[in-house]
Amino acid sequence: MKNAAASLLLPYLLIVPLSVSATQPPTNDALSWDAERFDREIAPLLATHCLRCHQGTSPKGGLDLSRRRTALAGGESGSSIQPGEPAASLLLERVEASEMPPDKPLPETARQRLRAWIKGGAVWGSKPIAPVGPVVARRAGKDWWSLQPLSRPALPDTQHDAWVRNPIDAFVLRRLRDAKLTPSPPSTLPSLLRRLSFDLLGLPPTSEQAMAFAEPPPGDAENHLERTIARLLSSRHFGERWARHWLDIVRFGESQGFERDKLRPHSYHYRDWVIRAFNADMPYNAFARMQIAGDVLTPDDPQAIIATGFLVAGAYDEVGQSQRSQAMRAVVRQDELEDIVGTLGQTFLGLTVQCARCHDHKFDPIGQHEYYQLTSAMAGVRHGVRQVIAPSTKQRQRELTRELSELREQLRRLEQSAQNRLLATQTGVPENRPVRAQPVARWDFDENQNDRIGQAHAVQHPAARRDAGALILDRNTGYAATHPLGFRLQAKTLEAWVQLANLEQRGGSAMTVQYLNGQKFDAIVFGERQPGHWMAGSEGYLRSRPFSATAETSTNTSVHIAITYQPDGTITAYRNGKPYGTPYRSDKPLVFPAGKWMVLFGLRHGAPEAAKQMQGLLDCAQLYNRALNASEIETSYLLETHHISRERVVDALGPVQQRQYASLQATIRLREEALTHLKGFPVYAVTPRPPAVTHVLSRGSPTAPGKIVSAGGVAAVPGPPADFGLAPQASDKARRIALARWVTDNHNPLFSRVIVNRLWHYHFGTGLVSTPNDFGYNGGRPSHPELLDWLASELVASNWSLKHLHHLIVTSATYRQASLPRPDCLRRDSDNRLLWRRSPQRLEAEALRDTMLSAAGQLNRQLGGPPYQDFTTFVSNSQFYRMTDPVGVPFNRRTIYRTWLRSGRNPFLDAFDCPDPATTAPRRAVTTTPTQSLALLNNSFVLRMAQRMAERITRETGPEPRQQASRAILLAYSRTATQEDLPTATRFIRKHGLAAYCRVLFNTNEFLYID
Amino acid sequence: MPDKSLHRRDVLSFATRGIGALALTDLLLRDSHASKQEKPTESQVSWPHFPPRVRRVIQVVLCGGLSQIDSFDYKPLLHRYHGTPLVSQQRPDVFFGQVGLLRKNDWAFKQRGQSGLWISDLFPHLSQVADELTVINSMYAETSNHTPATFQQNTGFRLNGFPTCGAWLSYGMGSETDELPSYIVIPDSRGVPAGGSINWSNGFLSARHQGVVLRGTGPPLDELFPAEPIRRDTELASRELLAGLNQRHLQKRGNSDALLARMRSYELAARMQSAVPVVADLDRETALTQRQYGLTAKSTADFGRSCLLARRLVERGVRFVQLFSGGAFVSPRINWDGHENMIKNHGREAARIDRPLAALLRDLRQRGLLDDTLVLFTSEFGRTPFAQSSASTLGTGRDHNQNGFSVWLAGAGLRGGMTYGSTDDVGWKSVDQRVHWHDFHATVLHLLGIDHRRLTFYHNGIQRRLTNVHGNVIKTILS
Repeated sequence: MKNAAASLLLPYLLIVPLSVSATQPPTNDALSWDAERFDREIAPLLATHCLRCHQGTSPKGGLDLSRRRTALAGGESGSSIQPGEPAASLLLERVEASEMPPDKPLPETARQRLRAWIKGGAVWGSKPIAPVGPVVARRAGKDWWSLQPLSRPALPDTQHDAWVRNPIDAFVLRRLRDAKLTPSPPSTLPSLLRRLSFDLLGLPPTSEQAMAFAEPPPGDAENHLERTIARLLSSRHFGERWARHWLDIVRFGESQGFERDKLRPHSYHYRDWVIRAFNADMPYNAFARMQIAGDVLTPDDPQAIIATGFLVAGAYDEVGQSQRSQAMRAVVRQDELEDIVGTLGQTFLGLTVQCARCHDHKFDPIGQHEYYQLTSAMAGVRHGVRQVIAPSTKQRQRELTRELSELREQLRRLEQSAQNRLLATQTGVPENRPVRAQPVARWDFDENQNDRIGQAHAVQHPAARRDAGALILDRNTGYAATHPLGFRLQAKTLEAWVQLANLEQRGGSAMTVQYLNGQKFDAIVFGERQPGHWMAGSEGYLRSRPFSATAETSTNTSVHIAITYQPDGTITAYRNGKPYGTPYRSDKPLVFPAGKWMVLFGLRHGAPEAAKQMQGLLDCAQLYNRALNASEIETSYLLETHHISRERVVDALGPVQQRQYASLQATIRLREEALTHLKGFPVYAVTPRPPAVTHVLSRGSPTAPGKIVSAGGVAAVPGPPADFGLAPQASDKARRIALARWVTDNHNPLFSRVIVNRLWHYHFGTGLVSTPNDFGYNGGRPSHPELLDWLASELVASNWSLKHLHHLIVTSATYRQASLPRPDCLRRDSDNRLLWRRSPQRLEAEALRDTMLSAAGQLNRQLGGPPYQDFTTFVSNSQFYRMTDPVGVPFNRRTIYRTWLRSGRNPFLDAFDCPDPATTAPRRAVTTTPTQSLALLNNSFVLRMAQRMAERITRETGPEPRQQASRAILLAYSRTATQEDLPTATRFIRKHGLAAYCRVLFNTNEFLYID
Repeated sequence: MPDKSLHRRDVLSFATRGIGALALTDLLLRDSHASKQEKPTESQVSWPHFPPRVRRVIQVVLCGGLSQIDSFDYKPLLHRYHGTPLVSQQRPDVFFGQVGLLRKNDWAFKQRGQSGLWISDLFPHLSQVADELTVINSMYAETSNHTPATFQQNTGFRLNGFPTCGAWLSYGMGSETDELPSYIVIPDSRGVPAGGSINWSNGFLSARHQGVVLRGTGPPLDELFPAEPIRRDTELASRELLAGLNQRHLQKRGNSDALLARMRSYELAARMQSAVPVVADLDRETALTQRQYGLTAKSTADFGRSCLLARRLVERGVRFVQLFSGGAFVSPRINWDGHENMIKNHGREAARIDRPLAALLRDLRQRGLLDDTLVLFTSEFGRTPFAQSSASTLGTGRDHNQNGFSVWLAGAGLRGGMTYGSTDDVGWKSVDQRVHWHDFHATVLHLLGIDHRRLTFYHNGIQRRLTNVHGNVIKTILS
């Protein structure tokens, strides 16, 4: 085993020579010490044996040996190195007493070298040792294999071998030959079809396809295969298969996790987006960019917003985020950022950056400050639901809005001509008056106190009366108020016709808009500050100033008073249609948010008391959601005074115009309704907030902020600069766009290597690097480093086409090999890392369920949309889920469309190693357990599918057991039945029925394993 | 390279051959291509790392936060300060933000047993077995938010996605029996804790290390028997046909550990089918035992069943049994979260578990099981010494307290009848010999013969541990 592993690493050793202390020549004391010699002899030694503890923001014992200054300064135990005096150097003393390093004492040669170095003056190197030092035995440095620029290795000589179908094979064959192994013969066609179908679609071939492969047209097998591969790659089920892999990596869940575990009913859009992207072969760099910064790159594209579901696919601690303690909230937020930054680093770069939250990465060249640079880039990212709208919908909205304004203009013109004719005949005023402005609410108190336009009906308090078409205002009970009104109000016009009972009264209001608690308001107030004068009342006179008009003189006759509030803060008053005194400029008008305000009549604001109430009669009141101009106010006054209601105006139209008017009104109503239906839809995605400045947090604790960092990347990654050139205060948009560019840069070698390795992993069961999320020191080394680079460069060269890579892989001779074990090869390479065969693979949980549905003829192939729910749920503070086995077509969809809950996991799928969606699962375990066997034997879904499959077969082949068995074998194994299969099968079916036979087939190894 | 065929029998019988065997278990029961980690993990070092004192664990988890002040942490000075404000440098930063006046314990403390351990009248029955208990009074947690605190209690981490202690043990030690799952969970009959199955998750370990929920009533396990009735002769013939088809397939495929393991798993499944109904059948216990566990009284019947079931499970070699006392945060409360009225809340909850728990300890002792079984009694955090009410009033409830709380352990390898560590004068903060969950877990693993630094699993760039990168074994409490 050891030897095999060593031989696997050989090519890696060739391309990246290790500079380990043990390989250094013996020290020559006679040589003098300089920086170069330090770098060569001492730096690796310190890095290997000491820096794991003695460096970073909180080194053990306070001793940081990574840089000269701190090393010489010593730690808690005092000075550690006395240049030139080995005997006085604590460091050497501890080393020579075998106390340090604590786990494994230094070899004698290393001790001698340290002694010589101190004696020689403890000369330091050119720079700090870590974290970007050379590769050493215990950690990776800048020359780590995965951090080398992408190369395009030349094809080895084996490219001319007859076995080789494409460059992949040349690299694989070369490694096999080096290890004195040979490839396996190609798989049989039916096996290959089953393999291709599961790899690319996650579904078995249809029975027709299986039949066609059982007897391919002579001489045409190759063409047939090529056509099949093309068909599979363009199948819409391809995206579903590969999206499931992606969802594993991005810890996609559809509930919040933690205590509340609320359902996220709007997160399925992200799944659909991934499926569509894979089906459409979206270039991988665009695929990544959209997920990191889609919403800020193309804010008008709903799909780009949906794509950011990636960043927030993880758990969300609702209780933690809303707890009282600000200190604890800050910790929860840092945990959340770690989830986001960690997933980003692992998914796209195979970097475990989250390990550097509390200290410099212990194994990889990632500084703690770099973790916070990435955190800064993500600092605007927040979980949430946002409304998005499709471009076509937006277009339709614009069209309708334009159409509506034209229709309203036509209506206005009709109305205007009739209205002005009436005005002219009744009053003699000139005909060029504007049409009446449309109030948002009107109360005329004629028959009741209802709003004539909307739903802003007023309620009398507690026993105010109406009389002769007016509301009676008195200082006892006489006032009225509406319910809270459901629209926002800022610029506005208040207009009232009021009969004052006397001119001495002070502080009453004809009409008020106020916050529900009465603490803020705007009102038409009489005599409050200045006896006998009208005023724009407000809380603490905040927006109130005298209009400098003449005092009121009318009592017991209707006076028209209007006050307009312009967006710029100008407040203007009118009396009987004419300007009342001088307008003035105040603060911007108060905002009354929807649902948070109401209208009062007769009462200035708040609780009723005599000093705030008006005495008199209110004839009519109107509210507008804009500031009317003088001409509009005068028109309103005139029309009201002369009782020219809208009804009268319409009556005055000629018959043709009347029909036109009615038709216009109807059309407007229809269009308005259509517009209200044209809404966006909610999606669970990034809902950004302006990010704060990010500090490096000592030991990861928000209570210990250190230096400020800007958004940036990791310097050890070659290619794009890690310095984004941004200020610490940069916008969320700038930060995330810069990050997306850095990650997806053509010259970032990790970005391409990681994804081609993932494809390889899912096609072969193990990646060229066995740890798909970790290309660092703790991860695996590539089994075929040159092949990995060749594939990565091919991906970049093909404009990031993943389907191009899939095609290359599945058309290779390597992929086509049979899966049978060969004892000689097993002995030398039991894990098949050198690819001398195709390793058999067990169906994943989802593929298993989908295959049973498919064999039973029950699979609902609906693509995308809201997921099915295999649970019942109730909310009792937390949300609870009870798993069920629902029956029916909507539930027979592919398993990827299950609602993936964090606390409601499906035991059947779990038995077959479905990962916990709380954490990223770059590769799934494949286990075999008794509970798995029990599930496959006894689960209600399995039994139902066996029954349905039996019914289907009986329908298709009739009652003859022999035919039934043949068909069952074809559906379950995608191969034709043999003489070996049939006698036992037929006997069993006769005695125990076809459903029992199908249940047995579901449990066989041949069903569960793909050769 | 070890000879796999030699080991297979042991591994497939889930025998305890240590972590080395476990690594092989994982290997052999996984497809050979789903290769082991390329870098050897330290977990491939054989278990035990040193002689274990205990071999299995029963953990009683109190959901909501047990008040240390009213149970195991006696604070006589609190009587003097009763009704006065807490004198503190910093205003306490508590979960609901209300800091009322200091409130003395609502249950009287007495010294119990030979050891003179202080236990309050909240647990009169448990008090009778005081000499079995090793109480830690100086626990502290990282958060006063229930669910993250509960996660940390069970996994060492505040977040979703990490394996619980039971999952780690299932991974690290395997099971002593091949008839039952190695990690079994018995939720409170009133409801599961908040976060549901996240509380017994395998995290990044393979899914078979997830806790298996056993129910006290109805079918104890899901999918133990066919969901639809199947004739006995059909069932037997089906198993026979299946074995035959798999055998033929295996012959064609040549030697394959994965295929063999799957065939063997059907035999194990059959054994589980006969074992589980027996272990779950409490009627097999004598009337006396049932009475002792409180099965005959209304208030104690629920938890009594859980305790009795736990004993039957460990007796048969289940590695880790987790009993929950209390469920999620619903209204009316069904857990220890006594924000409103301590007397009512803790009084009710303690009455449910006190007698069964004492009976369990006695029973384990009597049967000799306590010689190699560890019982843990834990709560995600404690409660505040001051009332949860507006300043200068003396409310009847207490808020969450992450700064100081109590847990206890019982079983072999421990010094019984002792307390370890202490809080300040009023029980607000742990001050002396403070214990973090990492230390607690390190100690539990130590008792099981595991060096907590060596039980690891590679996940996403890190050799993960139950104790993260921390943890010190509390040597003082070991015998």
